[in-house]
Formats: sequence, C-alpha cells, structure tokens
Amino acid sequence: MSARLAYEGATVGYPGVTVVRDAALAVAPGEVVGLIGPNGAGKSTLLRAVTGTACISGGLVTLGGQSLAELGPRERARIVGVVPQNVSAAFSFSAREFVLMGRHPHLGRLQQADGGDIALAEEVMARTDTLRLADEPVDTLSGGDLQRLALAQALAQQPSVLLLDEATSHLDLNHRLQVLDLVRDLADGGLAVLAVFHDLDLAARFSDRLGVVDAGALGPIGPPPEVLTVPMLARVFGVRAVVGTDAVTGAVAVTPVLRDEAVTGDRTGRVLVVGGSGTAAPLLRRLHLAGYDVAAAALNRGDVDQAVAEALGLERVDLPAFGEVDAAAEAAVGRMAAQADAVIVAAVPFGRANLGNLRALEPAASRTVFIGEFGPDREFSGGEATRLVAALDAAGAATVGDADSAVAEVERLTSGGSRPSGR
Amino acid sequence: MPVPVRARRATVIAVLLAGLALAMLVAIGFGAVSVGPGDITRAIVRAITGEARAAGDAVIVDIRLPRVLLAALVGACLASAGVLYQALFRNPLADPYILGMSAGAGLGAVIALTLTTSATALRFGVVPAGAFLGAVLTIVVVVRLASLRGTLDVTSLLLAGVALSYVLAALTSFVMVFFRESMTSVVFWMMGGLTAASWPYVAMVTPMLALGLAVPMLATRELNLMLLGEERAGELGVDVERFKRLLLGVGALLVAAAVAVSGLIGFIGLMTPHIVRLVIGPDHRVLLPASAIGGAILMVLADLAARTVLAPVEIPVGIVTALFGGPFFIWLLVRRNGHR
Repeated sequence: MSARLAYEGATVGYPGVTVVRDAALAVAPGEVVGLIGPNGAGKSTLLRAVTGTACISGGLVTLGGQSLAELGPRERARIVGVVPQNVSAAFSFSAREFVLMGRHPHLGRLQQADGGDIALAEEVMARTDTLRLADEPVDTLSGGDLQRLALAQALAQQPSVLLLDEATSHLDLNHRLQVLDLVRDLADGGLAVLAVFHDLDLAARFSDRLGVVDAGALGPIGPPPEVLTVPMLARVFGVRAVVGTDAVTGAVAVTPVLRDEAVTGDRTGRVLVVGGSGTAAPLLRRLHLAGYDVAAAALNRGDVDQAVAEALGLERVDLPAFGEVDAAAEAAVGRMAAQADAVIVAAVPFGRANLGNLRALEPAASRTVFIGEFGPDREFSGGEATRLVAALDAAGAATVGDADSAVAEVERLTSGGSRPSGR
Repeated sequence: MPVPVRARRATVIAVLLAGLALAMLVAIGFGAVSVGPGDITRAIVRAITGEARAAGDAVIVDIRLPRVLLAALVGACLASAGVLYQALFRNPLADPYILGMSAGAGLGAVIALTLTTSATALRFGVVPAGAFLGAVLTIVVVVRLASLRGTLDVTSLLLAGVALSYVLAALTSFVMVFFRESMTSVVFWMMGGLTAASWPYVAMVTPMLALGLAVPMLATRELNLMLLGEERAGELGVDVERFKRLLLGVGALLVAAAVAVSGLIGFIGLMTPHIVRLVIGPDHRVLLPASAIGGAILMVLADLAARTVLAPVEIPVGIVTALFGGPFFIWLLVRRNGHR
C-alpha cells in the first residue's frame, strides 16, 4: 500500500451525527486529490476526521498504512499539516512567531525553537510570499495574508500529507494561483495533498483526481474530465452547466448556465431555433427562461450554441464536429419544424454543411422569422441559400431587425392566431 | 531580527522582581509603626541567621513579613489563574472571580470550616481541599451551562459565571447563618482579607503556587497554541481535551490556594494579565511568569492601601481590588465593543 493517506470504508461525523458514510479514498505521494460538492455535504468533515476534530465511527483512516487511532496528536501533527478555511488571530503574535508555532510537534517539552527552526520558518514564509510580514502582528493582517501564513505554519510542520480546506477562499486571484502553484510544486516534490475546493475550475485545474461528496457519500474518484460532467453537475449542484476545455490552461472548465429554479416564465408553445457559431445562444437561453418549449435545429458538437442547448436540456439534433446536415438530420429538423408554433432563424451564415436546416423549414414557412436580412455576407452556398430564403419569404416568412423583435414575433405566433390546427 | 525569548524573558522578569522587592519593602515599612528599609533588612537577616532578635523585630518578622508575603503569593495565584483561564477560553474577560470559581471555592472552604473543629492542623488540610473541590465543581458546571446551546460563547460563559456566583454566595450565606458562632470572622474573610496572615498560611500556599505555576510553565507553547482556537491547536499537535482538563485542574488549585487564605478577591486575575499583555505581548513563555510577579506586586500594593488608607480601620482588600478592578472591567467591555 503506497498511499500516504487512506480512507478505508470510513464513516465520519460528530457525536450523534453521521455526516459521510463508508468513504473510500487513497492519496499517494505526489498526488493532489480534490474534493468537491455542495456546501454542508461533508467535505470538511472528511478532512477533520484526520485531525481528530470529527470522529470516525466506522472503518479506518490510515496515515502511511498506520491507523489514526494508533497515533498521538503530536505524532500525527508531524505527518499531517492543515490549512483551514478560516484562520483566527485574536492575539498579537508576530507573523514569524505564528509560523514558528507549526514547529510545536517537533519540539520537546523543554526545548525552544532554535536557529534551525527559525531558518525553516523563514524559508516557508518566503515560499508563501509572507516573509515581508515577518514582524507584523498577525491580528492586524488581512484574511488573505493570514491564510498564506496558515499555509506557512502548516509547512513548518514538515508534513508528508497536506490537507487544504478551501484554503484559497480569502485570497485574491493572483495569490490564489500562486498558492495553488506552490501546492502543485510541493505535491510534485512528493507531498500527498487532499484539498476541498469550492471553485470547480480550480479543482479541475490543480487536482490529479477528483471526488464528489454529496448526500452523505463520497463518489468514485477519477480524473477531472470524467468526474465533472453535465449530468453530475445537474444532479449534485442543481445547475445546468456547460463543461468545456479551457483554451489556455487545457483544464476542464465549467460554466454554469442557469439554476433549475431560474425558469420562471409562464409562456407556452414550441419554438424551433436555427443557429450556430454562438448566434443563437442568448436567444436559446432567453426563450427557455421565458418558459417556451425550445428546440434547436442541427448543430455541430463543439459549437457554442450546441453546448448551451445541451446544458439547457433542449430537444435538439446533434451533428459530429465539422459534420454536415445529412438526410437523416434534415428529416429530424423537418419534424421539429412541423411541430413548432414558431421558427426563428438567427443571423447565421449558410453553407453546404448547414443548408439542410434551411431546407427543412419549408412546412413551417408561414411561422418562420428571420433575424436580419439575408445578404451576401451570409451566403456561402453559391446561391442555394439565397434561393431557399426567397422561397420561404414567398411562402409567408417574416424578417425582423433584431432578437427583441423576433421574440415579440414569437409571442404573437404562439398566442393563437395563425397557429395551424392538427399539428 | 527577533530578540531571543530567553533574553527578553530574563530582562522582563528581573525588572518585575526588583519591582516586587521594592513594593514589599515599602509595604513592610508602613503600618502603625513605620520601619525603615535598613531595619527591615537587618531584622530579616537576623531571623534567617538565627541571631538574637532586636526590639521591634517581632512586628516585622511575625506580623508584617508573613502578611506581605502572603499578599504576594495570593496575588501571584490569582494572576496566574487568570492567565490560564484567558488562554483556555480565548477570552481576555475570563477571570476566576467572574467565572464564579472564587465563589465556588468560597462555599467549599466555608463548608470545610464549619465541618472541622478548631484543630488547626486539620484546618490547613481541609479548607484548601474544600476550596479546591468547590472551584473544580463550579467551573465544570459553568462550562456545561455555557455550552448548553452547542458552542461555548463568551456571553454565555460570563452570564453562567455571574449567575452561579449569586447562587453560590446565597448558599454560603445560608451555611454561615446556620453556624452563627463563627459568622463575623467568616464574613470578614469572605470579603477578602489578609488579616489572619501568619507563617503557617504562607507555608500552605507556597507549594500550591509552586505546583500551579510549574505545570503550566512546562506547557507555555501549548498555551500559545490554544490562543489559535481548539481546532487549530489540535491540528498542530496539542491533545486538546487532556490539556483543557489539566488547565482547569491547575487553575482550580491556584484559585483554591488564594481563596482558602484570603477569601474572595476579585479582578487581580483579570487586570494583571491584561496590563502585562499590553506591555510584553501574548507569548505565554513571558506572559505567565511576568503576570505571576505582576499580580504579586498589585496585591501587595492593594493590601498596603487596605491597611493604611483608613488606619487604624482596615478595609478588606477585596473591596480595594474591586474599586480599581470594576471600572477596569467596564473599560475593557467598552473598548471591546468599540472595536467591532
């Protein structure tokens, strides 16, 4: 067993209360494991079980293969360092004295911190960008400074396991990345890190593996892209989100689109939206929030509009990335058009790949609304699209100037009047 | 560069010890008959070397010296207990008197007094034991009461302490009414006085103070860590539950020592650590010994005032400390609220 810290079917909680049941997790040296989950799910309780603040009522928690129950507090504090979410400093110790307190488990009863301890303290302060505060009284420092000092204090323990409990919550953006980069470095140097994150993007970016704590259970631990999925986010956090890849960091990036409770509109009726390349995303969201039953015509995977449609849980036709609207997709869009009370064509260019979306609108021509005049700037099909638009116009399609007018047109179309019966 | 703690501690303690010696010389010198520092020194030297006593030595060696020494010991006990409880509860307003421990020790001592006969030897064992039991039981009940709603917050702690003090004071009065014959002396004792000071009392309190100071002096780093909160102290390697029990016990021993010989004297345990902390900071490696000596100085001066201000009438020293300590406590409350 090479794990530095392992939960083996551990049930943890407080006297009389079980918080997380049957947790299984192993953190190896050199690894950062992140814990995510809604507030109050028990992430912190899992960490506290290691330091004895929460109790273990079943199973085992081991450090280097040794059960926690066999370790005294001092011995444990030489192995595990903790950076808490909130650091209190009610009394005016200097920052250096504060960090030196981390040496406690290494010092004997009559021993004082010596030059070696002070040198170590100043080294970890330098690494956490707090050395310039060394002689400041801690009760005058900001929450962010204190949090970095708490990290320095934990590092002064020379731990082989580091527990972070939302340890960057009080930090500004620069220091947040700086601290997490440092933690990453320390892990690469052999430290085992178990960290609770409240920020999913940071969790994805800095964790080797992630676990979700929800409803009193710790889910399976896996690489961030396998854990951070749209269905998991909907189930655990109650948000519809777009999960993509951050273009710069290459890490999984989560963009919450809306909360389930946010759909408050009382509009009824089916609306089909033809979009692509982000031309329809705001419209999809707006119509969905208004309460309409929204469908999206064929879109390529990887397209922004597709991601939004998926996150919103809309009925849609998905195409492979760079794929064309083939006969099957065109037929599917045609069925959606036939059932729609209104069709909106966003200001999207048409080429050979998405011409099928336009061709499929024929049965709904009288209920179709174009946003913006279709001109040469949107024509990439050698004239075919222009001919189709003209045919739809001739069959009763309308053209409006902007999204607001289009939404007004949808309201008119769905509130009765021109709705054909029997569809 | 940081001044090494050892060097700083040595300086602070040397200065305070000099102050204490000065205060004691002054306190021994004042009284119905004034004595100069030279006479005092010579009388003490004669007493130590066993040389024949000069006229007037008796006043110094048998009356003033034990009284001033006892005042110093009691002051050191109360101030040290204050330091321990302020660290334990992370609260600068904690003090054995406010927490009700003095009242508890008082009741324990009064019960012990009334139960024992006049056999002095027995008294010197039973009264402090009763005071210790009273103090321990009181702090256990106060902490339980204060944490009924889950967490131990400051307001609940102070309220529980004050409320329990009233109940304990009533019980003490009840016991005293029941045993009328010794009432006057007990009442005077309860108000806090050192009138009965004698060498046997000094001999009784000294080992209690020594033990009560030696144990926490070996744990000053833990005391510092407790200031970061119990959870953080635990994370940094303190066996918090064991340490809390140890602190409660040692604190109760110190309170019992003080109450058994001098009754209820308030505010020394509150004021001293505060004043010392303002000057030297919160580090217990210096704060604890410095507060012990500081408490001794304050108590010697308070007792001097009690004896001399309205001479030949003597005011109970508890009244003197309350006259200074009450306003100090109010000032602390106002300052604390002003910070929010």
